[in-house]
Amino acid sequence: MNDATQFEPKIVAYVCNWCTYLGADLAGTTRLEYPPNIRIIRLPCTGRIDFNLLVKAFEIGADAVLVSGCHPGDCHYTSGNYHARRRWILFRELLDLLGFDLERIHFTWISAAEGKKFQQVVTDVTEKTRKLGPYTELYAATAAKGLPQMQPKPFEFRTFDQQDELRAEARKLLSAGDVKVVIGYGERGPILLTRPDEADLLVWNNRCTANLAMYLKRKEVKALGKPALVVKACDERSLVVLEKEAQFERKDLHVIGMACEGMEQPKCANCAVRTPRFADTTIGQLPNQVPAATPGKLDALLEMSRAERMAFWVQEFDRCVKCYACRQVCPMCYCERCIVDKNQPISIDPAPSTKGNFAWHIARAFHLAGRCIGCGACARACPVGVDFGLLNVQLARAAKKHFDYQAGVDPSAELLIGAFSQLDKEEFIG
Amino acid sequence: MANIYKPELMEVTAVRQQTSDVKSVALRFLDPECAAAFSFQVGQFGIFSVFGYGESTFNICSSSNWKDRIEFCFRKVGRVTEAMWKVEVGDVIGFRGPYGHGYPMDVWKGHDLIFLGGGIAMPPIRCAVWYALENRADFGDIFIVYGARTVGDLVYVDELQEWAKHERVRVITCVDPGGETADWKGEIGFVPTVFERAHLSAKDPVVLVIGPPIMIKNTLPVLQKLAISPASVYTSLENRMKCGVGKCGRCNVGSHYVCKEGPVLTMQELQRLPLDY
Amino acid sequence: MSELITERKLRQLAADWISAGKRVVGPARIRDRILYTALRSSESLVLGGDGYLRPANSIKEFFFPKQEQLYQYRVRGRNIELLEPSADFAEQLIIAARPCDAAALPVLDHVFNWDFADEFYNRRRRATTILTIACGAADDACFCTSVGIGPEDPRGSDAVLLELGDGRYKVRPVTEKGGKLLAGKTEPSQETAPETRGPERKFDSAKIRAFLENHFEHAIWAEHGRSCMACGVCAFSCPTCHCFDIVDAGPAAGSARVRTWDTCQFPIFTQHASGHNPRGAQPARQRQRILHKFSIYPEKFGKILCTGCGNCVRNCPVGLGVLNLLTEIEHGQHL
Repeated sequence: MNDATQFEPKIVAYVCNWCTYLGADLAGTTRLEYPPNIRIIRLPCTGRIDFNLLVKAFEIGADAVLVSGCHPGDCHYTSGNYHARRRWILFRELLDLLGFDLERIHFTWISAAEGKKFQQVVTDVTEKTRKLGPYTELYAATAAKGLPQMQPKPFEFRTFDQQDELRAEARKLLSAGDVKVVIGYGERGPILLTRPDEADLLVWNNRCTANLAMYLKRKEVKALGKPALVVKACDERSLVVLEKEAQFERKDLHVIGMACEGMEQPKCANCAVRTPRFADTTIGQLPNQVPAATPGKLDALLEMSRAERMAFWVQEFDRCVKCYACRQVCPMCYCERCIVDKNQPISIDPAPSTKGNFAWHIARAFHLAGRCIGCGACARACPVGVDFGLLNVQLARAAKKHFDYQAGVDPSAELLIGAFSQLDKEEFIG
Repeated sequence: MANIYKPELMEVTAVRQQTSDVKSVALRFLDPECAAAFSFQVGQFGIFSVFGYGESTFNICSSSNWKDRIEFCFRKVGRVTEAMWKVEVGDVIGFRGPYGHGYPMDVWKGHDLIFLGGGIAMPPIRCAVWYALENRADFGDIFIVYGARTVGDLVYVDELQEWAKHERVRVITCVDPGGETADWKGEIGFVPTVFERAHLSAKDPVVLVIGPPIMIKNTLPVLQKLAISPASVYTSLENRMKCGVGKCGRCNVGSHYVCKEGPVLTMQELQRLPLDY
Repeated sequence: MSELITERKLRQLAADWISAGKRVVGPARIRDRILYTALRSSESLVLGGDGYLRPANSIKEFFFPKQEQLYQYRVRGRNIELLEPSADFAEQLIIAARPCDAAALPVLDHVFNWDFADEFYNRRRRATTILTIACGAADDACFCTSVGIGPEDPRGSDAVLLELGDGRYKVRPVTEKGGKLLAGKTEPSQETAPETRGPERKFDSAKIRAFLENHFEHAIWAEHGRSCMACGVCAFSCPTCHCFDIVDAGPAAGSARVRTWDTCQFPIFTQHASGHNPRGAQPARQRQRILHKFSIYPEKFGKILCTGCGNCVRNCPVGLGVLNLLTEIEHGQHL
């Protein structure tokens, strides 16, 4: 008999209907005893398990989470579990950076015939969690450590030589009439020009940091007609992703590619390709360069202990006010109705509380997994300087490490999320 | 701490399904002191809530003469109203109010009353009709034209029939062309058209017209032809609301806050407001 | 003859409050920004420095937090209990505020007390002492003088400090609270404070209001509204924006009805359940913000809902903010 004061872990299990749930059933009907600590939530398929459900389980007090479904090859819906597996590979990396205890998150394949395995897994997970104790370190801020602060380099404003050429091109396009709006940089920020005589409002200098591809999703801009978009080589990667995701037809966009000497942003140190590759009009020419490999904040963060990482993020997200500037300036955040704006059900707590902010930033970063091209617009937009860009960098690294994938580089490459391979690695799956 | 956002707890005393997606609910205060102290003017609204789901704004559609209950009527469209749909007699929900300004009955006194309503806009008319019938001597002839898209969308059908039985009350119910059933005995046509067809004669009436913007837009010319001044035509505005007390910044139409200066206003006032609704 | 306080005494004041367990809010460096935040130590208080003008956020969150529990609800079948909110109205000190932050509070007092008194806000107002440091400089984004505020405006402050240089400040008590706070920490001084420098006037707010009242429809809204990306940066950095949402936070969040910051710039701000949205496109939303601040609020309460702090201009990810639009209205051919 258990000691009345013994800690009883609460374990939430997300299981697929066709395999693991039936396996659990089988365990029951064949009288295999397993600990009662588990709360089973049945979904049609592991492919249907939204990653934020894992976080939700912890939000409501779970000490561990188990995710289980059909073995690869046996999915009732053919490939749902392959999709799930690929997502889990990336999601674990995100959770690890955030300081979640990966020892409390378990993935496994359990078939309908494996009643014994179900009993085994539940017993093991329960005992393991009992030893780990209650999950009190979740969202704990005690161990907070700062990150090394980059010394801001003195900024010297420079106008680039190609400014006149750009203006002439815009004038020409708007006069010809096929292009209805030129989306470019103005003195204070992005400008949308509709008349040839406005062309001189365009600038091309080292303050042109914005990723103008963000305007392609705006319905007010779409209503104007065919756009011409000024892009740097880094921004252009957004276009590769967006076109792949069927967000625009290439013939409906005129791309003005600007060779860029650099915007004095931290990301510019990692720049290899400096001239856009797929523009309709290319202005300037700069050869590729070898980026300076500088250890950054991400490495410093990964060196911290798990508790320190969690505390770091609790402190970071404490400042977040849910202005959604990060979402709005991202070209890839183009959903007409964002998941945070839906309330049936409320998947992401809309309040700027600790849980709400974690849930939002996890959702944002993961919805960009394999899609974010690292333009940094989101981090620059944040009014209170939350370092959530590190989440995107972590996922980009994970994409490279596990799938040799980089978003927006190869237009012919399959999208990362949405595709899967039967060879995706699964050492972490039991 | 005095908390203006804290609702009163109300017990549901009756639930009536009006259409496939509309229900009306009657409530009484759990706290008898609140019940005794409470009063409102017809036309005012309240913010009703299901705890755990959220708050929603509805007109208080019962007569202010009824002291044992207040009523509201809602269509099932979103998170809160889906939860509201499941509410049963005996359940407890929240209520904040009354908010806004009601119908200026002191101004309406002595006049003939014309009520024109469409679809789910009947509830804010219903309370005024009952009030007028209960204070019959204060008002002249009462003329009601109410229509909905289909027969199944008509609400308070039984009360419409009851009102028609009262002295000097004329009720016309209509459905949009194509919305009639085989045994429909009422009129067929849009409210403004049916109203015009009725060839009403009213002396210096007060008109309350509530409905979708297109209905109001088409009703105004008809009223003009009858030489009814926009200052005598009233409507009740709807807008997305949250606080109900003028602070959350959401419900304004130009400088007119629907929750404070509204929701009731005359056409003359409405025409001065920008197209922000 | 007036009083003077040294920087050392100011920091000591902050340190005393902090060690007494009371909240002290002041500008502090966080990452690459300076933000008003609850100070953990008096050393982190930023009183000046290279090009420092004002923090990138405002002090409104200490009166009107970004999220606030209005009350908790406990639902046990038909038994519902509403619990008092766990709000904190303890004494707090805001040190080194700017006049454009402090002056926002008397402006906000009106809406938070419009017929219904918001005690969440009022209690915090009563519990707070604000020590303001007058401005010696302004940048392109500042425009306090265009909305009737100035670099040494005392409104909303309990005491105003004017920089004398070398870590010394001339003290101008504004309220009894301010006088009491600094009593015993100052020394007499004959020195006159140098002139404070505010921005030159950039627009005429009366002319702007007249324009706004008559140009609900105008091409300028579409032209300026098009590049806006519909985020909440301007509203949330603004000392006077106060729109909010009320949501029921589920069990994971404490089963409470919570008020959170909201903004008329969000697309679903005015979205009806029927699907109709009176402000369905960004130009209409931009127009609302300008109208609310420079026409509607003045009409209702006699005050402009803006203190010219320039946060919106500096923080906007696409370089907008209200100032450009207002100067365009005045100096473009629109009046």
